[in-house]
Amino acid sequence: MIDIVDVYKSFGKLEVLKGINLHIDQQEVVCVIGPSGSGKSTLLRCINQLEKVEKGHIYVDGEEVTDPKTDINRVRQKMGMVFQHFNLFPHKTTLENITLAPIKIKGVPKEEAIEMAMSLLRKVGLEDKAHVYPANLSGGQKQRVAIARALAMQPKVMLFDEPTSALDPEMVGEVLAVMKDLALEGMTMVVVTHEMGFAREVGDRVIFMDEGQIVEEGTPEEIFNNPKNSRTQSFLSKVL
Amino acid sequence: MAELWGIIGGLSEIRGFQVVWENLPYFLEGALITIEVTALSVAMGMVLGLFAGLFRLSHRVLLRSVAIAYIDFFRGTPLFVQILLLHFGILPYFGINEAFTSAIIACGLNSGAYIGEIVRAGIQAVDKGQMEAARSLGMNERQAMTYVILPQAYKIVIPPLINEFIALLKDTSLVSTIAVAELTYRGNLVYANTYQAAWVWGAVAVIYFIITKSLGLFGDYVERRLKTE
Repeated sequence: MIDIVDVYKSFGKLEVLKGINLHIDQQEVVCVIGPSGSGKSTLLRCINQLEKVEKGHIYVDGEEVTDPKTDINRVRQKMGMVFQHFNLFPHKTTLENITLAPIKIKGVPKEEAIEMAMSLLRKVGLEDKAHVYPANLSGGQKQRVAIARALAMQPKVMLFDEPTSALDPEMVGEVLAVMKDLALEGMTMVVVTHEMGFAREVGDRVIFMDEGQIVEEGTPEEIFNNPKNSRTQSFLSKVL
Repeated sequence: MAELWGIIGGLSEIRGFQVVWENLPYFLEGALITIEVTALSVAMGMVLGLFAGLFRLSHRVLLRSVAIAYIDFFRGTPLFVQILLLHFGILPYFGINEAFTSAIIACGLNSGAYIGEIVRAGIQAVDKGQMEAARSLGMNERQAMTYVILPQAYKIVIPPLINEFIALLKDTSLVSTIAVAELTYRGNLVYANTYQAAWVWGAVAVIYFIITKSLGLFGDYVERRLKTE
């Protein structure tokens, strides 16, 4: 579903990705962990081209997103993105947040878009908040709406960029629960996260990144119980 | 009440007061022309400013250069000079000789440059994550601007826009130099005939102040409404 081939990326003089190779299968849930500044968010943002790569190729669902000739707006519709800071549209209600892109970009008839949005809101447990503005939602509720908004485009992949890092601790669980449901339904997911419990329980594979490289990857079992690389060991000893 | 009439009776003995009182309808008519010039210039400036602001942020070098040159020129030279240059130097070649039209074009071009900068600042004040969220849903840049960024930017730009309206309203006094019969022009005429400087210019100032203050109060009201929304 996603192929990342020898990707390099710098911000000015700072090299943040140094030759990343990664293949992600359909229906796979890949959790990316690592210290801050290790390049894991940048990698995720490169997948949907919010950041341009300097060198290398990224393919999503058979299309090369790093090729300038590719219509990136069309390919992005296949990838839902969930941000650390939610990025809901504050001037639109919950329902409008979800229906905006399907109606305006995909040309879904309004009635149909609303119906789908309501069923997504039911799925994330927020159907009673359909007509509320984001300012009146809690952090956990905002993030669940953001997930519903991304799902409304019926993506083939969901990208999560530290989706629970900006939340109060008591709200982390409700967001992770929604993500877990999604994983169980067979959604292909790439999750950059600090939630080791989630990575261990839900992830099919865990990637440990440090200093712009993939240092170690394996099943949650392998990474958490039996890390081979010393950097992985030292990172896990600090966070677990 | 009797005292009030006494005061007015006393005032009416003063020559300067008589001049202002007699010319009040003439001044108010001029004030109306001032408002007209301002309103039409602002309408033109808003359209120009929206495009100037958007082009200023464009990735296309040509659009950005045009916007920067336009904004630089009209912010970097005096409006007074722009009015003279346009009315006597440029617009006649386009068959425009009427002072009123020249005045609106000059003030409109000038305010468009300032509004362009207001629009740019307003767009840049919208959180960066909003554009990213819109793009990640598959919107192209124009769709993201139309549906997500501009509807948020407009609330941010309203207070500085009102400020610009007020500034422009006062600046339209400069078009008196090309004989547009607005408030300042009429003040000048009446002064030249009566030499009642304090009374005439005092009255003109008061009329300007009443208009700008009303605009300011209206701005406060709009700002309060937007805040509670």
